[in-house]
Amino acid sequence: MKDVETKLPGAVIVGLIFAVVLDTIIQITWKVAVSGVPRDASLAVATAGVLSSPFFYAAMLAFGAQLWNWLRVLARADLSFAQPFTALSYITVLGLSSRWLHEHVSPSKGVGVSLILAGVFFISRTPFRTNHPDGREPQAVDPIHP
Amino acid sequence: MTPELTGIFILIAAVMVESFAQVFLKIGATCGAADGGRSCRQAGRAGACISARGWVLFGLAAYLVEIALYTAALHFLDLSVAFPLGSLCFVGVAILSKLFLGETVGRIRWLGVGCILAGTVFVAL
Repeated sequence: MKDVETKLPGAVIVGLIFAVVLDTIIQITWKVAVSGVPRDASLAVATAGVLSSPFFYAAMLAFGAQLWNWLRVLARADLSFAQPFTALSYITVLGLSSRWLHEHVSPSKGVGVSLILAGVFFISRTPFRTNHPDGREPQAVDPIHP
Repeated sequence: MTPELTGIFILIAAVMVESFAQVFLKIGATCGAADGGRSCRQAGRAGACISARGWVLFGLAAYLVEIALYTAALHFLDLSVAFPLGSLCFVGVAILSKLFLGETVGRIRWLGVGCILAGTVFVAL
């Protein structure tokens, strides 16, 4: 018999917001770093081109911050609760790509955004953490040696 | 086997690896919270004790494999196909969280995951 927690702590909310913001920064900076490389470039040229871009290092910095932040979120919330929230970065990336990278946003993308928002809303209505009645954390099963 | 089918198989492998990467990070994060990150939490069989940092490193290594697989899949598939298929990791994570982490994944959470999956299909159109 398992119990559940429903009141979402501020630390989890802040962590999820940071996760979406950092994910957006990673995707945009990565895209800008890669977009400077010609499509027909060899692997060596493409790698050198990406490594010479300051946006690549900005993406790596954001990735490190994202890992630190994500581990803090996962220490406080269920993985199956927190991870779907990262889908919100699809929406932020779409908005920024439209505004800054001048990419076209079709009506179908608007429908997609609405569905993603609805999905995140449904998940936000579910308990953020599974607890056992004796107060211990759910026991993980080793995925490598189940 | 057609190139598209090859790409889809590679992408499904990438999704599975990413889902496991998330589980490894979750175990690492929970170990760190439980004991200050000094040692570990017993996970699974007796003696199969891996430090919190070890699980995080497993997770990062799995992410590197996932990036390689996803890049290979993009060689065979259009982004408009790969992008929504990649969001299947939300399903994979929900299943693995229930199986390996003992999390409660109810109907409403599944409904949310379904909406997000459908949304990514429309975003990719």
